[in-house]
Amino acid sequence: MKVFTHILATTVGVQALDLHGRDAVLAYGFGVAIDIDHALKAPFYLRAVGLRDERGYYWRSSLQEPVAFLWIAPLCLWLGTAVPLLFFAIHLLMDYSVSFEKMPFYPYSGWVTRGWLVNVPDNVKEAVLFVVLLVANVALWLSRR
Amino acid sequence: MKRLNDRLARSMVRVLRERLGLSPAQITWAAFWASAAAAVLIASRWLAAGLVLMALGQILDGLDGAMARQYQLVSDEGHRLDTVLDRASEALIFLAFAIAGLVPLAHALLAIAAVLLLTTVCDRSGFDPGFKRFVLYFGAWLPYPTLFAVIFGVNLAAYVIGLLIIDCQFQVRMDRLGGDLDTVASRAVAEEAGDRPNDGIRPPTRESFSARQIADSG
Repeated sequence: MKVFTHILATTVGVQALDLHGRDAVLAYGFGVAIDIDHALKAPFYLRAVGLRDERGYYWRSSLQEPVAFLWIAPLCLWLGTAVPLLFFAIHLLMDYSVSFEKMPFYPYSGWVTRGWLVNVPDNVKEAVLFVVLLVANVALWLSRR
Repeated sequence: MKRLNDRLARSMVRVLRERLGLSPAQITWAAFWASAAAAVLIASRWLAAGLVLMALGQILDGLDGAMARQYQLVSDEGHRLDTVLDRASEALIFLAFAIAGLVPLAHALLAIAAVLLLTTVCDRSGFDPGFKRFVLYFGAWLPYPTLFAVIFGVNLAAYVIGLLIIDCQFQVRMDRLGGDLDTVASRAVAEEAGDRPNDGIRPPTRESFSARQIADSG
Protein backbone atom coordinates (compact mmCIF):
# COMPACT_ATOMS: atom_id res chain seq x y z
CA MET A 1 0.00 0.00 0.00
CA LYS A 2 1.09 3.54 -0.66
CA VAL A 3 2.25 5.70 2.22
CA PHE A 4 -0.70 8.14 1.86
CA THR A 5 -3.16 5.30 2.44
CA HIS A 6 -1.23 4.28 5.54
CA ILE A 7 -1.29 7.88 6.78
CA LEU A 8 -5.06 8.04 6.27
CA ALA A 9 -5.64 4.71 8.06
CA THR A 10 -3.44 5.73 10.99
CA THR A 11 -5.14 9.12 11.23
CA VAL A 12 -8.56 7.44 11.37
CA GLY A 13 -7.30 5.28 14.24
CA VAL A 14 -5.70 8.20 16.06
CA GLN A 15 -8.88 10.24 15.78
CA ALA A 16 -11.21 7.37 16.67
CA LEU A 17 -9.19 6.39 19.74
CA ASP A 18 -8.51 10.04 20.66
CA LEU A 19 -4.76 9.43 20.95
CA HIS A 20 -2.40 12.21 21.98
CA GLY A 21 1.25 12.67 22.90
CA ARG A 22 3.32 9.49 23.17
CA ASP A 23 0.48 7.24 21.97
CA ALA A 24 -0.06 9.34 18.83
CA VAL A 25 3.69 9.21 18.10
CA LEU A 26 3.68 5.43 18.56
CA ALA A 27 0.61 5.13 16.30
CA TYR A 28 2.27 7.01 13.44
CA GLY A 29 5.58 5.23 14.12
CA PHE A 30 4.12 1.74 13.81
CA GLY A 31 1.35 2.65 11.36
CA VAL A 32 3.40 4.68 8.88
CA ALA A 33 7.11 5.12 9.72
CA ILE A 34 7.64 1.36 9.84
CA ASP A 35 7.82 1.72 6.03
CA ILE A 36 11.32 3.15 6.53
CA ASP A 37 12.72 -0.24 5.52
CA HIS A 38 11.90 0.55 1.89
CA ALA A 39 14.59 3.23 2.13
CA LEU A 40 16.97 0.55 3.43
CA LYS A 41 16.30 -1.51 0.30
CA ALA A 42 16.79 1.45 -2.07
CA PRO A 43 20.59 1.00 -2.44
CA PHE A 44 20.03 -2.68 -3.30
CA TYR A 45 17.42 -1.75 -5.92
CA LEU A 46 19.72 0.84 -7.46
CA ARG A 47 22.59 -1.62 -7.60
CA ALA A 48 20.53 -4.51 -8.99
CA VAL A 49 18.05 -2.70 -11.26
CA GLY A 50 19.25 0.88 -11.65
CA LEU A 51 16.88 3.78 -12.16
CA ARG A 52 14.35 1.96 -14.35
CA ASP A 53 10.97 0.90 -12.94
CA GLU A 54 10.92 -2.83 -12.25
CA ARG A 55 7.73 -4.19 -10.69
CA GLY A 56 7.93 -7.12 -8.29
CA TYR A 57 11.29 -6.18 -6.75
CA TYR A 58 11.40 -7.33 -3.13
CA TRP A 59 11.13 -4.01 -1.30
CA ARG A 60 10.08 -5.42 2.03
CA SER A 61 12.00 -6.52 5.11
CA SER A 62 11.11 -8.31 8.34
CA LEU A 63 10.55 -4.89 9.91
CA GLN A 64 7.05 -4.95 8.42
CA GLU A 65 6.25 -8.63 8.35
CA PRO A 66 4.29 -10.66 10.93
CA VAL A 67 7.61 -11.86 12.37
CA ALA A 68 7.96 -8.33 13.81
CA PHE A 69 5.22 -9.16 16.32
CA LEU A 70 7.97 -11.06 18.14
CA TRP A 71 9.61 -7.79 19.16
CA ILE A 72 6.61 -5.46 19.06
CA ALA A 73 4.65 -7.54 21.61
CA PRO A 74 7.40 -7.38 24.30
CA LEU A 75 7.82 -3.68 23.53
CA CYS A 76 4.10 -3.11 24.13
CA LEU A 77 4.28 -5.00 27.42
CA TRP A 78 7.25 -2.90 28.51
CA LEU A 79 5.60 0.38 27.49
CA GLY A 80 2.23 -0.66 28.93
CA THR A 81 0.29 0.19 25.77
CA ALA A 82 -1.20 -1.84 22.90
CA VAL A 83 -0.98 1.07 20.44
CA PRO A 84 2.12 -0.21 18.53
CA LEU A 85 0.57 -3.68 18.20
CA LEU A 86 -2.76 -2.32 16.96
CA PHE A 87 -1.38 0.12 14.39
CA PHE A 88 1.25 -2.34 13.16
CA ALA A 89 -1.53 -4.93 12.67
CA ILE A 90 -3.52 -2.38 10.62
CA HIS A 91 -0.41 -1.65 8.51
CA LEU A 92 0.11 -5.37 7.92
CA LEU A 93 -3.52 -6.04 6.97
CA MET A 94 -3.33 -3.27 4.40
CA ASP A 95 0.00 -4.45 2.98
CA TYR A 96 -1.17 -8.06 2.76
CA SER A 97 -4.13 -7.00 0.63
CA VAL A 98 -1.66 -5.90 -2.07
CA SER A 99 -0.45 -8.82 -4.14
CA PHE A 100 3.32 -8.31 -4.06
CA GLU A 101 5.27 -11.28 -2.70
CA LYS A 102 5.98 -11.39 1.00
CA MET A 103 7.95 -13.59 3.39
CA PRO A 104 5.90 -13.41 6.60
CA PHE A 105 8.21 -15.37 8.89
CA TYR A 106 11.68 -14.80 7.41
CA PRO A 107 14.36 -15.52 8.72
CA TYR A 108 12.62 -18.35 10.58
CA SER A 109 10.82 -19.64 7.46
CA GLY A 110 11.32 -19.13 3.75
CA TRP A 111 7.59 -19.41 2.99
CA VAL A 112 6.39 -16.92 0.37
CA THR A 113 2.82 -15.64 0.03
CA ARG A 114 0.99 -12.95 -1.91
CA GLY A 115 -1.44 -12.21 0.91
CA TRP A 116 -5.23 -12.09 0.70
CA LEU A 117 -7.83 -10.73 -1.77
CA VAL A 118 -5.35 -11.58 -4.54
CA ASN A 119 -8.09 -11.86 -7.17
CA VAL A 120 -9.06 -8.19 -6.86
CA PRO A 121 -6.72 -5.81 -8.77
CA ASP A 122 -4.37 -3.89 -6.48
CA ASN A 123 -5.24 -0.44 -7.79
CA VAL A 124 -8.97 -1.13 -7.23
CA LYS A 125 -8.35 -2.18 -3.62
CA GLU A 126 -6.12 0.80 -2.99
CA ALA A 127 -8.54 3.30 -4.57
CA VAL A 128 -11.56 1.95 -2.65
CA LEU A 129 -9.67 1.94 0.63
CA PHE A 130 -8.31 5.43 0.01
CA VAL A 131 -11.80 6.86 -0.55
CA VAL A 132 -13.28 5.03 2.45
CA LEU A 133 -10.48 6.24 4.73
CA LEU A 134 -10.70 9.79 3.42
CA VAL A 135 -14.45 9.90 4.09
CA ALA A 136 -13.95 8.36 7.54
CA ASN A 137 -11.30 10.94 8.40
CA VAL A 138 -13.49 13.85 7.32
CA ALA A 139 -16.52 12.41 9.14
CA LEU A 140 -14.52 11.96 12.35
CA TRP A 141 -13.04 15.43 12.07
CA LEU A 142 -16.47 17.01 11.53
CA SER A 143 -18.04 15.07 14.41
CA ARG A 144 -15.39 16.50 16.77
CA ARG A 145 -15.99 20.14 15.82
CA MET B 1 37.92 -9.53 20.67
CA LYS B 2 38.10 -13.33 20.70
CA ARG B 3 41.84 -13.19 19.87
CA LEU B 4 42.51 -10.77 22.75
CA ASN B 5 40.49 -12.97 25.09
CA ASP B 6 42.42 -16.05 23.92
CA ARG B 7 45.79 -14.34 24.45
CA LEU B 8 44.85 -13.23 27.97
CA ALA B 9 43.44 -16.64 28.87
CA ARG B 10 46.24 -18.76 27.35
CA SER B 11 48.16 -19.57 30.57
CA MET B 12 45.00 -20.16 32.59
CA VAL B 13 43.60 -22.40 29.86
CA ARG B 14 46.85 -24.38 29.83
CA VAL B 15 46.59 -25.01 33.60
CA LEU B 16 42.94 -26.06 33.34
CA ARG B 17 43.57 -28.35 30.38
CA GLU B 18 47.02 -29.81 30.99
CA ARG B 19 47.24 -29.83 34.82
CA LEU B 20 43.60 -30.44 35.72
CA GLY B 21 42.60 -32.32 32.55
CA LEU B 22 39.35 -30.39 32.10
CA SER B 23 37.41 -30.26 28.82
CA PRO B 24 35.72 -27.14 27.38
CA ALA B 25 32.30 -28.69 28.15
CA GLN B 26 33.26 -29.15 31.79
CA ILE B 27 34.32 -25.49 31.98
CA THR B 28 30.99 -24.51 30.41
CA TRP B 29 29.13 -26.47 33.07
CA ALA B 30 31.33 -25.01 35.83
CA ALA B 31 30.48 -21.51 34.55
CA PHE B 32 26.79 -22.39 34.67
CA TRP B 33 26.94 -23.72 38.23
CA ALA B 34 28.88 -20.65 39.37
CA SER B 35 26.15 -18.47 37.84
CA ALA B 36 23.41 -20.61 39.42
CA ALA B 37 25.09 -20.21 42.82
CA ALA B 38 25.34 -16.47 42.15
CA ALA B 39 21.59 -16.41 41.44
CA VAL B 40 20.87 -18.12 44.78
CA LEU B 41 22.99 -15.55 46.63
CA ILE B 42 21.40 -12.61 44.79
CA ALA B 43 17.89 -13.95 45.47
CA SER B 44 18.87 -14.20 49.16
CA ARG B 45 19.91 -10.51 48.99
CA TRP B 46 23.64 -11.23 49.37
CA LEU B 47 24.23 -9.02 46.41
CA ALA B 48 27.99 -8.40 46.64
CA ALA B 49 28.79 -12.08 47.09
CA GLY B 50 26.39 -12.92 44.28
CA LEU B 51 28.07 -10.47 41.91
CA VAL B 52 31.50 -11.89 42.76
CA LEU B 53 30.29 -15.41 41.89
CA MET B 54 28.63 -14.05 38.75
CA ALA B 55 32.00 -12.59 37.73
CA LEU B 56 33.64 -15.98 38.34
CA GLY B 57 30.97 -17.56 36.13
CA GLN B 58 31.66 -15.04 33.37
CA ILE B 59 35.43 -15.59 33.57
CA LEU B 60 34.91 -19.35 33.25
CA ASP B 61 32.48 -18.67 30.41
CA GLY B 62 35.27 -16.86 28.55
CA LEU B 63 37.71 -19.73 29.15
CA ASP B 64 35.67 -22.56 27.61
CA GLY B 65 35.71 -21.02 24.14
CA ALA B 66 39.38 -20.04 24.50
CA MET B 67 40.26 -23.63 25.47
CA ALA B 68 38.26 -25.05 22.55
CA ARG B 69 40.07 -22.78 20.10
CA GLN B 70 43.54 -23.30 21.63
CA TYR B 71 43.27 -27.10 21.53
CA GLN B 72 41.23 -27.34 18.27
CA LEU B 73 38.21 -28.71 20.14
CA VAL B 74 35.66 -26.36 18.56
CA SER B 75 32.40 -28.16 17.72
CA ASP B 76 28.78 -27.33 16.92
CA GLU B 77 27.72 -29.30 19.98
CA GLY B 78 30.04 -27.28 22.24
CA HIS B 79 28.77 -24.02 20.76
CA ARG B 80 25.17 -25.12 21.35
CA LEU B 81 25.87 -26.16 24.95
CA ASP B 82 27.63 -22.85 25.61
CA THR B 83 24.72 -20.85 24.19
CA VAL B 84 22.03 -22.83 26.07
CA LEU B 85 23.85 -22.63 29.42
CA ASP B 86 24.68 -18.93 28.94
CA ARG B 87 21.01 -18.13 28.39
CA ALA B 88 20.01 -20.34 31.33
CA SER B 89 22.56 -18.54 33.55
CA GLU B 90 21.23 -15.14 32.52
CA ALA B 91 17.64 -16.23 33.10
CA LEU B 92 18.47 -17.48 36.61
CA ILE B 93 20.35 -14.29 37.49
CA PHE B 94 17.64 -11.99 36.10
CA LEU B 95 14.95 -13.92 38.00
CA ALA B 96 17.09 -13.74 41.15
CA PHE B 97 17.01 -9.93 40.94
CA ALA B 98 13.21 -10.11 40.72
CA ILE B 99 12.96 -12.56 43.65
CA ALA B 100 15.17 -10.22 45.70
CA GLY B 101 12.69 -7.44 44.95
CA LEU B 102 15.26 -5.31 43.11
CA VAL B 103 13.25 -5.22 39.86
CA PRO B 104 9.65 -6.06 38.92
CA LEU B 105 9.23 -9.67 37.78
CA ALA B 106 7.68 -8.49 34.49
CA HIS B 107 10.84 -6.50 33.67
CA ALA B 108 13.09 -9.47 34.44
CA LEU B 109 10.94 -11.71 32.21
CA LEU B 110 10.93 -9.16 29.38
CA ALA B 111 14.72 -8.78 29.62
CA ILE B 112 15.02 -12.58 29.34
CA ALA B 113 12.68 -12.54 26.32
CA ALA B 114 14.75 -9.85 24.59
CA VAL B 115 18.00 -11.76 25.18
CA LEU B 116 16.41 -14.99 23.87
CA LEU B 117 15.10 -13.22 20.76
CA LEU B 118 18.56 -11.84 20.03
CA THR B 119 20.05 -15.32 20.49
CA THR B 120 17.81 -16.68 17.69
CA VAL B 121 19.45 -14.39 15.11
CA CYS B 122 22.88 -13.32 16.40
CA ASP B 123 24.80 -16.27 14.89
CA ARG B 124 23.41 -15.47 11.45
CA SER B 125 23.65 -11.69 11.70
CA GLY B 126 26.97 -11.69 13.55
CA PHE B 127 25.64 -8.82 15.66
CA ASP B 128 25.51 -9.03 19.45
CA PRO B 129 26.36 -5.94 21.52
CA GLY B 130 26.89 -8.12 24.63
CA PHE B 131 24.65 -6.09 26.94
CA LYS B 132 23.50 -8.90 29.20
CA ARG B 133 24.75 -9.86 32.68
CA PHE B 134 27.70 -7.50 32.33
CA VAL B 135 25.40 -4.46 32.73
CA LEU B 136 24.40 -5.59 36.24
CA TYR B 137 27.85 -4.67 37.65
CA PHE B 138 26.83 -1.02 37.25
CA GLY B 139 24.25 -1.49 40.02
CA ALA B 140 26.49 0.44 42.41
CA TRP B 141 25.89 3.60 40.38
CA LEU B 142 22.52 3.11 38.69
CA PRO B 143 19.22 1.66 39.95
CA TYR B 144 18.53 -1.90 38.85
CA PRO B 145 15.21 -1.08 37.12
CA THR B 146 17.18 1.32 34.88
CA LEU B 147 19.78 -1.35 34.16
CA PHE B 148 17.07 -3.86 33.24
CA ALA B 149 15.52 -1.24 30.96
CA VAL B 150 18.94 -0.92 29.27
CA ILE B 151 19.29 -4.72 28.93
CA PHE B 152 15.77 -4.99 27.48
CA GLY B 153 16.11 -2.01 25.14
CA VAL B 154 19.57 -2.82 23.81
CA ASN B 155 18.84 -6.51 23.21
CA LEU B 156 15.48 -5.81 21.55
CA ALA B 157 17.05 -3.14 19.35
CA ALA B 158 19.92 -5.53 18.53
CA TYR B 159 17.35 -8.17 17.56
CA VAL B 160 15.69 -5.75 15.12
CA ILE B 161 19.08 -4.72 13.70
CA GLY B 162 20.02 -8.41 13.42
CA LEU B 163 16.84 -9.11 11.45
CA LEU B 164 17.65 -6.24 9.10
CA ILE B 165 21.24 -7.46 8.61
CA ILE B 166 19.92 -10.93 7.70
CA ASP B 167 17.40 -9.30 5.35
CA CYS B 168 20.18 -7.40 3.60
CA GLN B 169 22.25 -10.59 3.26
CA PHE B 170 19.18 -12.29 1.78
CA GLN B 171 18.62 -9.40 -0.61
CA VAL B 172 22.18 -9.73 -1.91
CA ARG B 173 21.44 -13.40 -2.67
CA MET B 174 18.13 -12.51 -4.29
CA ASP B 175 19.77 -9.91 -6.49
CA ARG B 176 22.43 -12.39 -7.61
CA LEU B 177 19.80 -14.96 -8.51
CA GLY B 178 17.48 -12.37 -10.11
CA GLY B 179 13.72 -12.76 -10.56
CA ASP B 180 10.70 -12.38 -8.30
CA LEU B 181 10.49 -13.46 -4.71
CA ASP B 182 8.08 -16.33 -5.33
CA THR B 183 10.27 -17.79 -8.05
CA VAL B 184 13.67 -17.28 -6.45
CA ALA B 185 13.14 -17.12 -2.67
CA SER B 186 13.22 -20.88 -2.17
CA ARG B 187 16.53 -21.10 -4.06
CA ALA B 188 17.96 -18.19 -2.06
CA VAL B 189 16.87 -19.78 1.22
CA ALA B 190 18.32 -23.15 0.18
CA GLU B 191 21.55 -21.46 -0.80
CA GLU B 192 21.59 -19.64 2.53
CA ALA B 193 21.15 -22.90 4.46
CA GLY B 194 23.91 -24.53 2.43
CA ASP B 195 26.33 -21.69 3.03
CA ARG B 196 25.60 -21.17 6.70
CA PRO B 197 28.60 -22.01 8.89
CA ASN B 198 28.67 -21.78 12.71
CA ASP B 199 29.47 -18.12 12.72
CA GLY B 200 26.72 -16.91 10.41
CA ILE B 201 25.81 -16.61 6.75
CA ARG B 202 28.55 -16.22 4.18
CA PRO B 203 27.52 -14.86 0.80
CA PRO B 204 28.14 -17.41 -1.94
CA THR B 205 31.20 -16.95 -4.09
CA ARG B 206 30.82 -16.28 -7.80
CA GLU B 207 32.19 -19.79 -8.44
CA SER B 208 29.74 -21.56 -6.14
CA PHE B 209 26.84 -19.58 -7.60
CA SER B 210 27.84 -20.35 -11.14
CA ALA B 211 28.18 -24.03 -10.30
CA ARG B 212 24.73 -24.05 -8.77
CA GLN B 213 23.29 -22.26 -11.77
CA ILE B 214 24.83 -24.84 -14.05
CA ALA B 215 23.45 -27.61 -11.84
CA ASP B 216 19.99 -26.01 -11.89
CA SER B 217 19.95 -25.49 -15.61
CA GLY B 218 21.21 -29.02 -16.21
